[in-house]
Amino acid sequence: MTTRPAGQSIDIATARFRLRTLTPADASARWQDWGKDPQVMGPLNAPVRDMPLNYLANYAASFDNEHRHLIGIFDKASDTHIGFFIIEIDRVHRCATFNVVIGDKIWWGKSVVNETRAALLDHFFERRGVEKAIGSPLARNFPAVFNYKAQGWRHEGTLRGHRLSVNDGARLDQYQFGLLRDDWRKLRKAGA
Amino acid sequence: MSKSSAARQILAEAVNAGAETIPEDARIGTYERWDSLAHLRLLLTIEQKLGRALDADEVVRIESLADVAAILGEQS
Repeated sequence: MTTRPAGQSIDIATARFRLRTLTPADASARWQDWGKDPQVMGPLNAPVRDMPLNYLANYAASFDNEHRHLIGIFDKASDTHIGFFIIEIDRVHRCATFNVVIGDKIWWGKSVVNETRAALLDHFFERRGVEKAIGSPLARNFPAVFNYKAQGWRHEGTLRGHRLSVNDGARLDQYQFGLLRDDWRKLRKAGA
Repeated sequence: MSKSSAARQILAEAVNAGAETIPEDARIGTYERWDSLAHLRLLLTIEQKLGRALDADEVVRIESLADVAAILGEQS
């Protein structure tokens, strides 16, 4: 199945990046390489694996752009795909759960996540009726924890042993961070 | 009173700057050199100094130079 989903796609520019809905045509060797890189997959507790191009294409096609969004991050200068967000919408409670992967390690430590996530927070809060954003990094994913804190999200709780390690079966702690729309608006007014 | 020299030195190394340049009120989100990779280096160094892994409560508490000093058991 490689047909385009019917929901409303996203195309947003930030100072350095373009954020747009990924399509089956975006399946690439670059994206495949991220799945094979333990440094990329490890902090996410995701298995390292070789994902065929047709698997990635079908995966991209599985998002409906209404309840589930797969949004690519592209370096504007080179139009290079460097990562992606997965955003899941709970329409009943008007919440959006954010997940992000920066696959291109050249961009690590360069504020990609918070520059791009800020634009997506604006979009989902102001145009898609979302009232709360949620993020759930593993406690050992220190860069992700940093990004939530630096962006003004609140640590709302620690889920003890909430995930099973794909590497050794150990139980892993996970945080919940949250950001309410009103708090984001205040942060934006303050210059975030 | 300045924060402990060990905390300041660890943060300075993590952000690749001189210890004397670290602001007294250095904090995530306001001190620009403190980015996500610096944070990773900082926490791994703290674990090395302590000789153990930080637990989840400790990890989420570290967001300032003062917090680094506190986790190292130093007076500010």
